[in-house]
Amino acid sequence: MMSPAPAPSPTPILVLDRVRKTFAGHIAVDDLSLAVPPGVIYGLLGPNGAGKTTTIRMIMDILQPDAGSVRLFGAPAGDRMYAERIGYLPEERGLYRKMRVLDVLVFLGEMRGMERRRARQRAGEWLERLGLAQWRLRRIDELSKGMQQKVQFISTILHEPALVVLDEAFAGLDPVNAQVMKDTVLELRARGATILFSTHIMEQAEKLCEHVCIIARGRKLVDGPLGDIKRTRGGHHLVVGFDGSVGAAAQVFADAALVKKVDDYGQYAEVELAPGADPQRVLRDLVGSGARLARFELREPSLLKIFIDLVGPEAAQAGVRPDA
Amino acid sequence: MHKIWAIVRREFVERVRTRWFWIGALLGPVLFGAVFFLSGQLGRGGGLKRIAIVDGTTTQLGARIAEQLGRSGDWAIRVPAAIGVVDSLTAQVRAKQLDGFLIVTDAALDSGKVEYRGSNVFAGKGALQRPVGEALTVVRLQRAGVDPRLVARASIPLRLETCKISRGTTCGESAAQSFSLAYFMGIILYTAILLYGINVMSSVLEEKTTRIVEVLVSSLRPFQLLLGKVLGVGAVSIFQFLIWGVAGRLLLARRAPLAGGGDAGGAGADELFQVPHVTGATFAVFMAYFLGGFFLYSAMFAAVGAMSSTEQEARQAQQPVAWMLVLSFISMFAMLNDPGSTVAVTLSLIPFSSPVAMPVRWAAGSLPASELALSLAILVATIGGVTWIAARIYRVGILMTGKRPNLKELVRWIRTA
Repeated sequence: MMSPAPAPSPTPILVLDRVRKTFAGHIAVDDLSLAVPPGVIYGLLGPNGAGKTTTIRMIMDILQPDAGSVRLFGAPAGDRMYAERIGYLPEERGLYRKMRVLDVLVFLGEMRGMERRRARQRAGEWLERLGLAQWRLRRIDELSKGMQQKVQFISTILHEPALVVLDEAFAGLDPVNAQVMKDTVLELRARGATILFSTHIMEQAEKLCEHVCIIARGRKLVDGPLGDIKRTRGGHHLVVGFDGSVGAAAQVFADAALVKKVDDYGQYAEVELAPGADPQRVLRDLVGSGARLARFELREPSLLKIFIDLVGPEAAQAGVRPDA
Repeated sequence: MHKIWAIVRREFVERVRTRWFWIGALLGPVLFGAVFFLSGQLGRGGGLKRIAIVDGTTTQLGARIAEQLGRSGDWAIRVPAAIGVVDSLTAQVRAKQLDGFLIVTDAALDSGKVEYRGSNVFAGKGALQRPVGEALTVVRLQRAGVDPRLVARASIPLRLETCKISRGTTCGESAAQSFSLAYFMGIILYTAILLYGINVMSSVLEEKTTRIVEVLVSSLRPFQLLLGKVLGVGAVSIFQFLIWGVAGRLLLARRAPLAGGGDAGGAGADELFQVPHVTGATFAVFMAYFLGGFFLYSAMFAAVGAMSSTEQEARQAQQPVAWMLVLSFISMFAMLNDPGSTVAVTLSLIPFSSPVAMPVRWAAGSLPASELALSLAILVATIGGVTWIAARIYRVGILMTGKRPNLKELVRWIRTA
């Protein structure tokens, strides 16, 4: 088992230490360890059924781990003692349909330890900000789906939590709300909050996350800062564009010591370097072979590629299906 | 706890805000009023307002019957028998000018047969049976040569006065009062426990289906959530009682004009449904068993809500729970007849029926304090046990989706929760 993250100096906001959860003989989360440093956007990634929601439920004290421990804010967690400092948006969402918008927000604020008056005032501000001010006294079931999503999102962050946990944060959001959500997440982070969000959509994670942890079948496959993972996993990729003359490029690409795999389109090629190969040598060899280059770009692998390599194509297939 | 209080307040405020709450609050007293009014009508002769007596007798039988009926109001007119009179009276009944008419002949004295034709023969029978019978007896006696004064003295009608011996106090309330008190308490207990128990169930189900429960359970323990919910719904029911109580008092104060209607012999109505004298002890027993029954049943209904995923599933799954309550309600009628029978005693000790059975027995007849204490103790112990089990089912169930658990899975939930 890897030790959690190459120790960033500040105390992690959240630490899972060999956490395990079993349901009726099936292991949902298997000795999972991870550490979320403060002030980052942390992605918990994995295909469906990987154990993301179960992990989050253990963090939220909804489920008790069978083994292992959860530490929050540098202290052992338990009995919902940190509920006031955590905002939680579950994967499946809903609100009391017959309640008024403002009442729902105040009630959920109270559930997070807010005082009524303060919850009312903050809710008013947020509704104003997200353009729902004139809906504050309407019933939830009079709102459109998109507006309900906004209300639910407000309820998650109303109490200004230090840690925001978003399970499948962007699933089911319309594009406008996805944008609102992203902006707000970034704003929260800028104000010092830590965001933990789970998703099976790698493109989103790649844009937002500084740290990730990829899990499958309840086990951790890799975790750490995204940049480190990209550097150490998946190898180096080159994109080469030619300007008319290709010279003896084919020979260069055929050198097994340099190139592992190539996708040659004639005037354009995608190259996966052999392990340990120096891209600068490829450049030199290509120029030496008489090729005229229009483009020579060293490219990191996409998170999706790393994910597929780690999880396996079938699991990843299930994983990238956006609706599931 | 601040959060439990927030749950209680939400349940209370959201429920009291609904139209249905106020409809129930208004409908309750209207229904009670209707019961009083109807029983007044029935006791008076089921709404017979005007009848005719076709007198085909040569003795004074027809006159005597008219006099007997006339005692309780001026609503029976005597018409001499003639050709075509039956047809014209029938037409009057059809035109609703008359409720019906009696046909009396001399043969009645020997055969006892008198004919009544009318629009509502059931009401006619109820209203006419006794006075006509008494008139027949009087005329028969006179015909046999009995001294008219003796006959008059023999025909003074019975006035049976009942009085309940209970817990050392003397005649405080009549049999009719005890009966109506027991009857009303039974109905209210049954209805309220069922209604508010199901309220708890649908509230659990709403939070489960909308998944709000995940957010809630990450802020407070499932048991605290359940507790807040039950207390909130319970507070609504007590508020409802309060409204009914105040409205009922006002209504009862104006009962006389409502039920008696002034004229014709309203005695029957008053005898059957008198204002029960509700003592402090009776009120305490009622509230204790209402709260006990409500806690017991709402815990079970909450478990049912937690193990269901849809409204339909819950409706099916709640049936065994509801039936226990329905059974105790049905057995109430047996209990009213004989509050001391073995069946009644047993039912008032079994915790699932005692919330309805015991108050009914208490109101209907005297009851040893030891039995009351035993019944309450069993009820409280059962609430403890059932809540423990229900809370475990609740804790697991609220996060589960999909198929309803079978009995084996339920047992596992209870064990592992």
